[in-house]
Parts: sequence; C-alpha cells; structure tokens
Amino acid sequence: MFLIHCPYCNEEREQEEFSPAGEAFIARPEAPEDISDEAWADYVFYRTNHKGDHWEQWVHSNGCRKYFMVERSTITHEILKVAAFGADISE
Amino acid sequence: MRVEQITSHQIDRSKPLTFIFNNKKYKGFEGDTLASALIANDALLFARSFKYGRKRGLMAAGVEEPNALVSLEMGGRYTPNLKATEIPLYDGLSAKSATNPHSFDLRAFIKPLHRFMPAGFYYKTFIKQAVWAKVEDSLRALSGFSEAPTQEDVDVYDHVHHHAEVLIVGGGAAGMSAALEVLKNSDSERVILVDERARLGGELFNEFASDEAAAIWHEEGVADLCGFAKEQSDRFTMLTRATAYAWHDQNYVEVLETHATGENLSLTNGSQVRKTLHKIRAKKVILATGAHERPMLFEANDLTNIMLSQSVRRYLNEFGAVSGKKVVVYGNNDSIYQTAQDLHRCNISCTVIDVRSAGATNSIADKTRQGGIKVMQGYAIVKAHGSDKVDGIDVALAVRQGVSWEVIGESESLSCDLLATSGGFNPVVHLDCHTGAKATFDEVSQAFLPQKERPNRQTCGAVSGVGAWHDAVIDAKNKAQLTLQSLGVVSEVNNAELGENHSNYYNVGEFFTPAAIIERPKVFLDLQNDVTTLDVALSIREGYRSIEHIKRYTAMGFGTDQGKTGNINGIAVAAAILGKTMPEVGTTTFRPAYTGVDFGALAGRENGGLFDPQRYTTIHDSHVAKGAEFEVVGQWYRPWYYPKTGENIHQAVHRECLAARTSLGMMDASTLGKIDVQGPDAREFLSRVYTNAWMKLAPGSCRYGLMCNEKGMIIDDGVSTCIGDNHFIMTTTTGGAASVYSTLEMWLQTEWNHLDVHLNSVTDHYSTIAVVGPNARNLMKLLCQDVDFDRESFKFMQWRPGIVCGVSARIMRISFSGELAYEINVEANYGRYIWDQVATVGEKWNITPYGTESMHVLRAEKGYIIVGQDTDGSMTPADVNMNWIVANNKPFSFIGQRSFSIAALSAENRFQLIGLLTKDASVVIPEGAHIIDNGGKSVGYVTSSYFSPMLGRSIAMAQMQGGLSKVGETTIVKIVQEKQGLKEIPCEISSSVFYDINGERVDGND
Repeated sequence: MFLIHCPYCNEEREQEEFSPAGEAFIARPEAPEDISDEAWADYVFYRTNHKGDHWEQWVHSNGCRKYFMVERSTITHEILKVAAFGADISE
Repeated sequence: MRVEQITSHQIDRSKPLTFIFNNKKYKGFEGDTLASALIANDALLFARSFKYGRKRGLMAAGVEEPNALVSLEMGGRYTPNLKATEIPLYDGLSAKSATNPHSFDLRAFIKPLHRFMPAGFYYKTFIKQAVWAKVEDSLRALSGFSEAPTQEDVDVYDHVHHHAEVLIVGGGAAGMSAALEVLKNSDSERVILVDERARLGGELFNEFASDEAAAIWHEEGVADLCGFAKEQSDRFTMLTRATAYAWHDQNYVEVLETHATGENLSLTNGSQVRKTLHKIRAKKVILATGAHERPMLFEANDLTNIMLSQSVRRYLNEFGAVSGKKVVVYGNNDSIYQTAQDLHRCNISCTVIDVRSAGATNSIADKTRQGGIKVMQGYAIVKAHGSDKVDGIDVALAVRQGVSWEVIGESESLSCDLLATSGGFNPVVHLDCHTGAKATFDEVSQAFLPQKERPNRQTCGAVSGVGAWHDAVIDAKNKAQLTLQSLGVVSEVNNAELGENHSNYYNVGEFFTPAAIIERPKVFLDLQNDVTTLDVALSIREGYRSIEHIKRYTAMGFGTDQGKTGNINGIAVAAAILGKTMPEVGTTTFRPAYTGVDFGALAGRENGGLFDPQRYTTIHDSHVAKGAEFEVVGQWYRPWYYPKTGENIHQAVHRECLAARTSLGMMDASTLGKIDVQGPDAREFLSRVYTNAWMKLAPGSCRYGLMCNEKGMIIDDGVSTCIGDNHFIMTTTTGGAASVYSTLEMWLQTEWNHLDVHLNSVTDHYSTIAVVGPNARNLMKLLCQDVDFDRESFKFMQWRPGIVCGVSARIMRISFSGELAYEINVEANYGRYIWDQVATVGEKWNITPYGTESMHVLRAEKGYIIVGQDTDGSMTPADVNMNWIVANNKPFSFIGQRSFSIAALSAENRFQLIGLLTKDASVVIPEGAHIIDNGGKSVGYVTSSYFSPMLGRSIAMAQMQGGLSKVGETTIVKIVQEKQGLKEIPCEISSSVFYDINGERVDGND
C-alpha cells in the first residue's frame, strides 16, 4: 500500500510494482567455510525484526528489476530514505 | 405507518413501488430504503438472533444497523448480508431475511435454553472434537448470516484509481462544508468527496422539521457542490453510495461505490457495472465521518421496536415513516427532546424519560413540557415488556451516588408501542484507527474522540465531538483552511469561533451502568452477536481483564457490526465491573474493513480469463488441432496428453510412452525457463550458484546443474549450454523461471556487483522441440545436413549449431527420458514450422507427440526428480541421493555449501528420496499417500506415482525418513479412501531408478 520512489526509474510508483527482498546490509561472509555454525546460522536465518527505522531491500520487480535500499519506519510505515546500492546513505 | 404531515422531498409519493420481502408483497415510494418502506408497512420483524433465537427488528436507520441483515435477489444476482437500511427501494425488489423470523427452526427451539448458553458456551461444550463433528453442520446453518451464494455472480465490477490533493470522507453538514471551503479557496487542487448514503446531508435531514435554516443551507450546499461537480469535473469528484471502508498507509483509501442502479436488475440488464472499487491516493484527508448513536441498557432492550432515538427521528423526517403510536423516548442527553418534539408535532403521543436528574437540564425539559409532552427526569427504564414487540416498560428512580449510579424504589409500569433510546454518541473513528491512530476518551462529550494530531489528516463535525450542525459547518471550514494551508494553497487561516458549549452540545450524561441493571439477564450490548452484560461479567470472572480479551471471549463487535453499536457500551460495562475508568479500559482495535465488501468488487475485472496471464507457445494451435488436453504450469498452457478418439488419459499415456521408448516421440519443451548469461565472469557466476563445477565446460558442451539456496536446500535444476567462453544459456524449471531469474539478479546486484555478468530472460525467444527415442538420430539426419550426428562425434551432453529445414538452430543432445534425444532450439516464430516439419518427416517412424504426463512417466522411470514435486524446499542434494553433483572443492564456497556441514543436514532420520514398488504390480499408489511404520506413525509420503508401460508395473517415488538405508525392506503405505476408511498397500522400498539402470539407452540402438 506504499508509494515507493525507485532510485533508478526516478519515479514514485505503487507498491504493487515492487517486491520486498529482506533486510539490508546482510553481507555474505567472505569465507563461509571458516566460520562457526552459529555465525553461519546468524547470517542465514537471524534478522533484527527491528521496531523503528529500518533499512530493507526492495526490488522493482514489475519495472526496471533493480534492487535498492529503503529506510522505512516499521511503526508508521513512513518511507524515510531510498538509496541505490553503493550510494552514500549517511546524510 | 406513513405520517401524512411530513412533506419530505426525499420520498416521491407520486411514484409508488412494489416489492417483495420474505415472500410477501408490499408497497413503498421512490426514495425509500427497504427499511423505511417496511416501517411504513408496519412489517417490523427482520430476524431471529443467532444464539438465543430471539425475534429482532430494526434498531437503526443506517450502516450501524445490527439486526436487519437481508439477502437481495436470487440466482446470479443473489447478494447476502446486506443491511435493509442501506438498500434503496426499486420496483420489483425481492429480499429475504438472513434468518427468517417467521420460521420455526432450531433457533426457536434453543430460545428457552438460552440461560444455559453464556459466553464461552460453544468453546467449552465443543472442545471435544467428537461432539463437535456431530453437530457442526446444523450449528453452522445457524450462523445468523445469509446463505452463501451458489451461483456465479453475473455482474461486472470495476476498479478505478484516483490521485487527489484532498479527500473528504463523509457528506453530512461537516463534509459538505469542508468540500465547499476547499473548492472555493483553490483553483486546481483535485478534490474527492465520498458519502455512504444515496443523498448528501447525513443527519442534517433530522433537523429540517424544526430548523428551517438547516433545510436552506442543505439545499444551497447541494446545489453548489453539484455546480462544482459539473463545471470543474476535471478536479472535483463526488461519489454517493460510496463507503470508505479501509484506510491504509500513506493516505491510501479504498472506497466501494454501489451504483444507483446496481441492484436493480430491470435497469442494468447485466450491461452496467454494479459496483466500483475506488482506490484513492490522497495528499490530505479530511474525516467527517460523523457519529453513531449508542443505545441505553436495560433488561430486554432487544425487543422489536426498541430503536435508536435519532434513527426514529430520521425515519420520521426523511421518509415520513414511524413504527408506533405511543412512544417513549429515553436517554441521557438533550437530543431525546428533539425526537419527542418532532413526534409530537406529528400528533404522535410521546413521553420523555431523562435519566439525568432535574437541575442543569431544566430549561429544555421545561420547554418540552410546555409543548404538552410528559417529561420524567431522574428516571431509568429497568425492563422492557413484550413477547415479539415492546408493549411496555418498568421505570424506577435513578440516583447518582458519588461515582456510581443506583436505581431505587419500587418500579412502575408504563405502556408504549415504540421505545426510542439515546445513550450518547460514538464518533466514527474506525477509519482513522485503521492506520494505527488511538482514540482517546473525552470526559466532556463522554465519547472516544479521534487522536488529536495526525499528519495529513483533519477531522471535523460529529467525529470530533462537534454535534450541532451549525457548529459542524464552521468546524469544517476551519479544518478545510488548515488543510489548504498545509498544501500551501492559502498562507493564512481564518479560524472562526464555534458556538458556546459546542463540545458537548447535547449535554450527554455519564454512562448509565448501575449494578441493578447490568446484573440483570438479557441486557444486550451487541444484538448481532447476542452479547449481554452478564457475558462481559462472566468473562471478567473467568480472568479476562483486557478489553481485547473480553471482546474475543464474548464475540462482542464481531460480524458486520465491527463495534458500531455495542462496543462502547461494552467498555462502559467492563469499566463498571472492574472499577476502572473508561480510558483505563480503552478501546478495542478497529481494523479494515469498516463494512462488508463484495468479493466481486475485490476481484474487479481480474476474473475468468483475466484472472491470471495465460501463456502459449508458438506451437499451441497445433496442439489444439491434435486434440490435446492441457495443464497449466507456471501460467503456461502445456499439452498434458494427446488422446486419440476413445482414449482415456491412461491409454493415451501408455501409447505415448511406448512410442518414445521404442521408436520416436516429440514434445514441445519451449516453456522451460531460459536465461542468457553473458560476460567474462559467466563461468565464475555459474560455479557460485550451482553445486557442481563449470570452469572447464568447453564451448559445444552442456551440463546439468542443481541450484540450492543458502540453507542448502534444492530450489531449481536444469541444463546449461556453453555457447562460448563468455556466453551460456541456462535453463530452469518451467514454474521456477521467474523466481530463479530474480534470485540470480539479487546476487549479482547486491553481493557480486564486481562480477562482469549480465542476465537476460530469453524464455519466450526460443521454441524448443524435443525429439526422443531410438530413431531420433535417424530423424535428425534427415532434418539437418550440416551437422555430423555420428554417436562418437556428437556425444550426449553436447550441442551443435545447424540448419534445420532451412532454419538456423541450436541442437542439444540432452535427455529427460533416458532415451537418445535431441532438442532443437529455433527462434520462437519458427517453432510451429519446425514442429510441423519434424512431424511430417517423422511419420516413417510413426512419430508420436507426447505431453507432460508421459514426460513425467518417462523421467520417473529413470528416477529423475522434478524440483517442487519430489522436493519441497527442505531437501538437500544428499537427501535426493545426488551427492555426485556436489563439488565441495571449488575455490568459491557456492550458495548453500556451508550449510551442508551443519550436523542437522546429515542426520539419519532426514527425509530421503526412495522408490516404492507395490507388491501388487497393478496397484498405483495415490500421490500424497503416507508411509506408515510399525508403530502406526507416518514416516514419509509419496511424491510421484505412475504406471510404467515399459515395466508393466506401478512405480513410485517417495520421501521417507532414513529411507536410503532401508532399500530392500518392506513397508506399508496407507491411504484414506473416502467412505471406505484406511487402505493398506504393502510395498518394497527400492532405488528411485527403475528403468535402464546403467544408462545404456541414451546413445540409441545403432
């Protein structure tokens, strides 16, 4: 039910054009074989399920098919920021 | 009856209409609702209540009506559970009560037993499944709602998307005023006004009889709005009979509009849209949703002809209809005097009983007395009398003692035939709360008001506690100004003063919940769900303290009611019993939908052939011409089998399979997902996403790959072809094409954006025709002259470019049947041509087209898995006995590899893929049947099962706990057969490869 601004198409479009793709900043471990089962499980299964402002990934699945990052309040569903991968999100 | 003095313009007495209700014929007028017409006909019984079987009539005049649920029309236009108060009358209308009040059914039988059926009765009685199973059918029939439709809906429904600067919900005095203010003070802003009723004005009609200014303001307001709608139609939309039933995030409001002729079959004749679902995205929302009156509480307050005071007033003033001659008006606020005065003006005898003691309210009481109406101040109704319909009441003195009420002294009896009550007003905060706003209790107006501040939203009129129409008009203008300011349209805001005492215009008294009343039986809070004060008391005694739990235990506010009439009184009763204040108890959560929404409206035009995209290969017409039956796989219409005249599916599949195994078969394999993978890092990419090795696959070769997710579970499989060092074509399962493509893109875009690889979905770009069988090589030699098909020079799992019948093609030697086979890939538009050429040239070997069913049999004979059928997202390569395809020594830890070393994935009791051979070779096990161990416990289930024509026996694949170590053992498969109980099928556990175990057939016979 959101309007999402796609940073690649540079347009605000209905949510039905997009698909959620999980929490952002879940990096794949560099050397999976060298880490413990716990650390691997943490990467594969555990997510923060954060209440508040939360960075997540979305994909413009019925559009440009690009993945990007969205900062969204999980309380109000307000979308605070949208960023392409590699973009500076510190501001 | 109809009151002649009322000269309402809302009904047209010159246009009589005939209609049928519960099989009886009645007459009404143009402009009536079904409810008002029945009141005019003195037909007052609408329902039997769902739990206690009590007869019920109308309580309200609008959307909040809890009792008068009806089904409209029959057949393809049958619509269940509409409120009689919301159905505009038309000639020939035919409706029935959801629960027939006149029939003598199980409900009437239950009625004397109702004191044994408190809250939780069903939970407690039927917690034993055995008891429930016996009575479920008969109890479900008593749900209190209409029967479900049995025929397809013949009507058409639309969806319309809107974008607006301002959406105004509610077209009463406040909503009209807000809309006019916004329109008059802006030029280009898009404005939408929606109202649930057929006519703008809301509760304003009630005032017409006593306040000429109200009628004049209404007439001018409607004219102005219609003017805007006509002259500025590009920016102003006005929707009536349109209910805003859900408010989602970012001001996305869903509105269901019933077209004026929507339920009138004689007019629409099936050609017109019946309802439209408007999806409105608004920058600002102004809520002018008004308030619902709440009833007073006393014993037997559910008898027929006990109604809400403002509803009695509305039936009288708007429709000239009233259901009694001797009326008692009872309540705790000043609005009851207006109802009494309106009735009195029509020469209807009435008495006012005001629960508030004499004192502060003397002026309006005295004025009413001077008009000749009997007024009793400081009295409470303890009980109503009557069998089907109210015929009298018991009243006693009511006294406020500190924080609680008491009823004292002997009660006296009064007779009446209509009782109108008002216990104050509940602002309609439902919509506002859909997106998480909290309603807060306001002591002054004794009501839960909407949250004060919310971004991009204003509230005005009765929903904000501003009850008088002239105050609501000013309040709405102020809020409209604020809205325009927030849009930057106006810079300064005119903030006009509202009248004195506007926040409690009707002087609503405290909730009247003395113990002497709420401890009585049959004091109903929620009439639709038969919830009484004793049910609330019981749920509190049994330990439920939160109002959310009390609601669920008692079912208060369930069904179509959704907390419109009963919940706030329920909260007051819970507060009285718990010794808490209203804010301490709080409200329950309001969720969408505010009112019922037709399934047809939700579906819109995405119905029948438009429900889901239908995909056809370019060869489709040929399959149709050959009489193929189709199955849908991932939106594709794939030939399932090609029956010849008189053949059933088994005979057809038998013939098709034997053809492929003994001579020559052909199949349309175009639907397999195809992804073009290009770039210098293409090999590296494939190595990362597949479990096996790809670095050394030479151009001209193909390789089968198995794809897992990071959990180590199989998600897809398919053959990839090496076109060149930088170029591969990956195939995926037909159903998994879209999700695999999306997953691969995710890895490339989010984790591996340094890899120089580009993906493109090319599923639709190529047609793929598989030629399968011992004569496949002979056929290919005739079709294509520039490729050497010798078995040693064109080996299994290789591909060659060639010209097939003049068309440039890629020919892969791959096999999903174990037979010698080639797949001819050509540009999609040549597919039909090549298919026909193959069929013609193949005639000398009796080439036989086969469909997905035979494909499944052929692959199952070879033990090849179908991802998603033999695996379910919890199977590792080891579980399906495919460890041979896992290359654990690749430099990059491929997707899922790390998970394989987790102990749980090598546990002995994991489900593993095995074969099952029934002891009786002719028995084919149904797919889904369970494998049962000696202790009677399920240890697995059958995933694929067929009769193999080549082997002349049944074969099955199954997932079984620890199955791979049990090969050779005997086990029992049990199936449940309808009406025959359990059937046992003894089986031998075997390898899942049944045919050509050594793989000798893939090179052919020559």
